[in-house]
Amino acid sequence: MNAVEIRNLTKNFGAKQALNGLNMTVPEGAIYGFIGENGSGKSTTEKIICGLLHQSGGEVRLFGKEQTDVDVRAKMGVLIEAPGCFAGLTVWNNLMLQAENLSLPKPQEKVRDVLKLVRMEGAAGNKYKNCSLGMKQRIGIAMALLGEPALLVLDEPINGLDADGLRIMREVLTDVAKRGCTVIVSSHILGELEKVATHYGIVRGGKMIREMTAEELENSCRSFVALQAKDMARANALLRAKYVRVEEDEKGYLRVYDQVSVESVVEYLYRYGVVVSEVGTDKIGLEEYYIDLMQGEK
Amino acid sequence: MERKLEKNTFGKRLKSMLRVDTRRMFTSPLFYIMVGISLVVPILILVMTTMMDGKVSVDPQTGKETVMEGFKNVWQIFGSVSDTGGATGGANAEGAGMGMDMSITSMCNINMMYFAVAVLVCLFVAEDFRSGYAKNLFTVRAKKTDYVISKTAVCFIGGAAMILAFTLGALIGGKVAGLPYTMDGFNVYNFVCCVLCKTLLVSIFSSIFLVMSVVGKQRSWLSLLLSFGLGMFLFMTVSIASPLDAGVLHVILCGVGGGLFAVGLGAISNLVLKRTALV
Repeated sequence: MNAVEIRNLTKNFGAKQALNGLNMTVPEGAIYGFIGENGSGKSTTEKIICGLLHQSGGEVRLFGKEQTDVDVRAKMGVLIEAPGCFAGLTVWNNLMLQAENLSLPKPQEKVRDVLKLVRMEGAAGNKYKNCSLGMKQRIGIAMALLGEPALLVLDEPINGLDADGLRIMREVLTDVAKRGCTVIVSSHILGELEKVATHYGIVRGGKMIREMTAEELENSCRSFVALQAKDMARANALLRAKYVRVEEDEKGYLRVYDQVSVESVVEYLYRYGVVVSEVGTDKIGLEEYYIDLMQGEK
Repeated sequence: MERKLEKNTFGKRLKSMLRVDTRRMFTSPLFYIMVGISLVVPILILVMTTMMDGKVSVDPQTGKETVMEGFKNVWQIFGSVSDTGGATGGANAEGAGMGMDMSITSMCNINMMYFAVAVLVCLFVAEDFRSGYAKNLFTVRAKKTDYVISKTAVCFIGGAAMILAFTLGALIGGKVAGLPYTMDGFNVYNFVCCVLCKTLLVSIFSSIFLVMSVVGKQRSWLSLLLSFGLGMFLFMTVSIASPLDAGVLHVILCGVGGGLFAVGLGAISNLVLKRTALV
């Protein structure tokens, strides 16, 4: 069963059309990376899924049921913008309030459990207002996880996190998915998203332009030959003369994106007296794939 | 992985919601600040007006003399008896017909507490939206009814506590100011009924303020502005509905009226939440 199925979703804010017939399918148990430019409709879609905004048209089904179904909605967790904590209360009390709200049996045990899951056991007594940004994001996730949600919607949860915060967040998302929870996570930090996502949805101008699994992304990502030569300027000129797409990356490597073997490139340059000092093959990542796709769309 | 989606009954949802809101209200500094203010304000009013009683001020431009008139007895701060003029003195004409008495004793009375209730309700509800708590809540709760019922009930409790604090403050303030406690034209039973009426009327005001709060959402300034504006229309009827010589009939009428308003306005709040964006 699909956790989320959206068909022809539209949303207008006055004259502005935020969503323009968006389709989306999130399989159960997936970590769905929701990608798009600012204003492309990611947050609007997430808010509609959570019932916080009303769609102008289209259909949203959660676990095969209407999106307004009380029982389905009771099994959702959300972190959109603010985590939903009261500044003056401690982390523990904020979580206890949420546990009570969800009528959880053994709330203390559940709170302890989620705090452990988000690596925040030591900060339970801290006042929420005194927590760092990374801690607040993790508390937000803990809040969302309290009801053992079947669907977790996270809007930009890794923004502003330091390296350690990113690592913890990655671990948390993986742990959550292992528990059988479907996660929809939007982010601009594609490199991080790539490490955890099992599915992707790329949205542009209120429309889903591509949906794929991590394997499909892997297959779609172009491979390239990267090299460094003694005479880089000459190598660059020679490669550009022969191959269709040659680029220089930020580390100073020349990349040949055409379907060629390493040997043929090295041999070609050698023939013209250019000695290759370093060579290898690699694939573009999600970030480059996304940029390529966006440029193609434009 | 197939997940079992458990049934979440209305009773279960409402119970948990009420528990959370009650706990939030009673752990909120705002509640204690407002109750504290409600307790202190009547003491200050009674003491200060008694100190100024009889003082003459002269307008330097016109040379017109104005005599400051203080409270003649403690009960005047709660209102007047139905047949105006007798028991509580002429200065207390806040319930006397539609004519506006702008004297300090008619303006500074228990009825102004309804505006203070607006502050409590609007800030309390706005915090739900500002903190993202409402977002969490409405994601897991598709039905808005439990939120509205719970908020109406808890805001009523908060407002009622303020009215009772004002009553206590007035009784203490009367002692501090040395005002008489003579009951003229009414008795203790009537006074209890009067305070009960005023307490029950809180449900009307808190329901109005709740509607305005869900309209304004995190913009508490808007909620407050709308609440003060709309509250003003009903403000004048409070003194008529809850005179000092109130009886059980007044209490019943205020109770029924309060209940009906709470249900009707609650339905409007529910509709606003259903029809508008919650973020």
